Amino acid sequence: MKRLLFLAFTVILTVLFGVAVWQDSMREWTGYQRKFFHSLTRAERQGLTGGIKQVILTDLRRVDRCTTCHVAIDKPQLALAEEPFTAHPGTLLESHPPERFGCTVCHGGQGLATDTKAAHGEVKHWEQPLLRGPLVQSSCYKCHGDLRPIESRAPLLSQGITLYKQLGCAGCHSVHGFGQSVSVDLSEMGEKPWQLLDLTFVTGEENLSQWVEQHFKEPRRVTPGFRAHELPPGEEEIFPTFMPQYGLNDEQARALTVYMLSLKDEHLPASYVRPPGPPDPEPTYASPIEAGRAVFQKFGCAGCHGLDGIGGRRNWNAWLGDEVPSLIPVKQYYDRETLKEFIRHGRQPVPRSNPQRPNPPLYMPAWKDRIPDKQMDQLVEYVLSLGEPLPASQPSASQPPAAAPAATTQ
Amino acid sequence: MADQDPSPALLQWLKRTKLWKSIFRHDFSDTPRTRLQRIFGNVFLHLHPVRTPKDALRVTYTWGMGGLSFYAFLILVITGILLMFYYRPTTIHAFQDMKDLAYAVTLGGLLRNMHRWAAHLMVVVVILHMIRVFLTGAYKPPREYNWVVGVLLLVMTLFLSYTGYLLPWDQLALWAVTVGAQMAANTPVIGNEGPFRLPFITTANDARFGLIGGTIVGDATLIRFYVLHCVAVPFLFCVFLCVHLWRVRKDGFSKQTGEKVDVWPHLVSREFLAALLVTIILFVWSMALQAPLEELANLNVTPNPSKAPWYFVGLQELLVYFDPWIAGVALPGLIVAGLICIPYVDGNPKGIGRYPAMGWKRMGPLRLWYPTERPFAVSVFMLGVVLWFALIFVGYYCRGPNWEWYMPGELWSHRRITKLTLKNLPNLWGGLLLLGYLLEGTPMPKAVKARLIASKGPNAPARISALLHLGLGLVMSTALILPLVTAMDADFPVRSRYPTLFEALGRAPNAPVMSWLYRTVEGLGPALGTGLILACIGVLGAVLGILGLKFASFKDRMFDELGLVKYSIVIGLFLMMTGVLGKVMLRLLFGMKYLIAFPGLSFNI
Repeated sequence: MKRLLFLAFTVILTVLFGVAVWQDSMREWTGYQRKFFHSLTRAERQGLTGGIKQVILTDLRRVDRCTTCHVAIDKPQLALAEEPFTAHPGTLLESHPPERFGCTVCHGGQGLATDTKAAHGEVKHWEQPLLRGPLVQSSCYKCHGDLRPIESRAPLLSQGITLYKQLGCAGCHSVHGFGQSVSVDLSEMGEKPWQLLDLTFVTGEENLSQWVEQHFKEPRRVTPGFRAHELPPGEEEIFPTFMPQYGLNDEQARALTVYMLSLKDEHLPASYVRPPGPPDPEPTYASPIEAGRAVFQKFGCAGCHGLDGIGGRRNWNAWLGDEVPSLIPVKQYYDRETLKEFIRHGRQPVPRSNPQRPNPPLYMPAWKDRIPDKQMDQLVEYVLSLGEPLPASQPSASQPPAAAPAATTQ
Repeated sequence: MADQDPSPALLQWLKRTKLWKSIFRHDFSDTPRTRLQRIFGNVFLHLHPVRTPKDALRVTYTWGMGGLSFYAFLILVITGILLMFYYRPTTIHAFQDMKDLAYAVTLGGLLRNMHRWAAHLMVVVVILHMIRVFLTGAYKPPREYNWVVGVLLLVMTLFLSYTGYLLPWDQLALWAVTVGAQMAANTPVIGNEGPFRLPFITTANDARFGLIGGTIVGDATLIRFYVLHCVAVPFLFCVFLCVHLWRVRKDGFSKQTGEKVDVWPHLVSREFLAALLVTIILFVWSMALQAPLEELANLNVTPNPSKAPWYFVGLQELLVYFDPWIAGVALPGLIVAGLICIPYVDGNPKGIGRYPAMGWKRMGPLRLWYPTERPFAVSVFMLGVVLWFALIFVGYYCRGPNWEWYMPGELWSHRRITKLTLKNLPNLWGGLLLLGYLLEGTPMPKAVKARLIASKGPNAPARISALLHLGLGLVMSTALILPLVTAMDADFPVRSRYPTLFEALGRAPNAPVMSWLYRTVEGLGPALGTGLILACIGVLGAVLGILGLKFASFKDRMFDELGLVKYSIVIGLFLMMTGVLGKVMLRLLFGMKYLIAFPGLSFNI
């Protein structure tokens, strides 16, 4: 009996060990390599070896094993039409040789992994999934401080940056030190840990880019706060997010998402990084009012007060109708000096319309001396001019802001 | 193969060579002499005696747990050494090396899985081994010392597993170790957040600092845990293991019935088969289930919930009911001390080498399956074991984000917000309750009984004992219920909407007894309500008193047998264990936070 058991156990163990070794030698990538090598002629196969391929990027602190399956990515003469045997499209690899850049620094994903799903980073516990489609443009900003020369290659990224400026995001958010602190600092938004995101109301894939994109399109759906019935009795209600609903279309939301994903605190070696180019030349303005409008735009006042100060952004429980006030009647209540004082000191918190409910989340920040005196003069001039009757009709805040660029050239 | 076997000439020649003889110093014929020689002549097999009673080999008796815990350790050493080839204990490399093991190293994933699962298996097997040894009375003289060594080996097993938990350097590792290290920070006297902290103790020189080698879990912790895990603790473990096995050999096996048989082949073959079977189980387990690996460790992102390794989750669950220094330091310390004490306070010479006989016993309306031999020892020990695993179950399966209660398998929601109302008893009342509880352990020694009989008549001891226990029961129930229905709420009006404890707890959703009482009293009106409350005090007091009285004669007997010191240890540990259960009940049924609270001293019970 014991001898039989001993025999049986030994056989089972040997078989198990064999299965383990077999499984190990039949990993996914071996199939791809076999398939690829079969497609080659004997002459083409010269000099190619199998096994796990890796690019060790000491400078970038990365090891990329992508070429284990993507065997022909830098060999267009051997490439096939089918994935993963295609060659890299375009001429980008000439300026970004894989030996120096690897793959994941631009494309994301998990360079160390050798299974398709894990390598593409589309598994649990990996927070840099493959940047599919135009999302890959977000990586350009890591090195290219000056986007102008590569604008045609990263159109969505450029559009995102432009939109960020036009919508006045800097009025509440700051990026690398420019902008207000009413809401979160976005300097490292692209690498925000997912565990800090509430993905409850995100539809589709649960990842950072989905959260950002859906939050741009429908902020109050993604971050709805807590209604009274969701809270224990006696708890103070929590308002939905005060991020305004800008009515962005898919492309605009995608463009802003690309810009957000590009904001990373990744310290790449200096030899990789291109410095930001010279600033755009200061445009000349016909009048102080026009210059003031540019100041209004630059410091992000439009983010809350609307394009051309028309107001209408939701501010929960704020006096004057749960909204950020319009700037059109300002002229009737302020003169130049009091308005300057008001902008310098702001108003925190905004008075409540219902004293039983919590404070309004949005407030007028204190600008102190962040706006230089000359620009402040121009800004005040502009804000006071808003009450003047204008010949042209006001653009509506609910219109897509794509129409906004016309503003500076009006 | 017998001596004159017809084996090939080459083999026969080989056996005559010096080389062969120097390696195999005996032939392989199955004679009593070679059976002996195999054990004697082999340094490893020499851990065994040559002959052993047949009954001691039965799996139903030993469960094979001692040998298997040793074998699990052996697997861990071998897989661990192999893993060390691929591992660099620095924060920038450790996580990458885990990925390499999973994706690039041949059989690397299997190796890591096996190490991980074998570690879990070893913890389970060591605990089962302890339970078996306790149940068969194998800790009793002359094996007390070996029991102590065994307890220390258990502690080392847990510590080995805990130090290994950090090494993958993922979120799971970092935060499980943080939870454990935070308990060290709550050590009384030498912990920065513990009670009675010495004036010079800061975060940079307290017990936590000593454990993790810094003020945060980082590179210093990683190398410290690596050395502890791979060198220091295994070294100590081996030393104690040698002593443990040597003592088994010297003290003899606890089972001494049945005819004696040769250890080779009877025991050795069983051990070999068991080891093979466990290897197969581990192999399948490791091929089917991947060892967990989460995101790269990030000190700025705390997962919610963060859980300690499973064997410490019971203690983490206790954090709900006790101050951290009690749940994380005092209770585990007392558990270990209590385990060590067992052979020295258990004077009962019966029950060595057999499982306690079980029988049905009537206890009021209940029929209990009860040990008829060593009833107190066995039931108390098993209650402790069940409590330990019940707490682990609750902590591991029933706790979600914000450590809120979820049913096992229920979907966690980070948006669920529950507001618990928890109140402290006023310190004096809480102190009285605790004092009454501790005094329930008072025995009536024989001498006192004799004096009472002499002076007050033959029924006096029973009367006095009844008076004492019922009185204590009444004191306890008064000290609990009276302040709850009369005292003001110290949190009012800042953190509480109601001025009295009764109203606050009565309207809370998490204190079922209090809300029942509150609603009923409200319905009955003041006069009847007061009557109901008094009745409640009376009934609860009577129940507690009668419960104490049930054990009165047992206590007296135990005191007379053990003497003051041993009795105090036994009754102290027993009261501590049931006290934990009692505190859990107070919290869940009465919404009680602390009985005695001195937040300034971090001293809350």
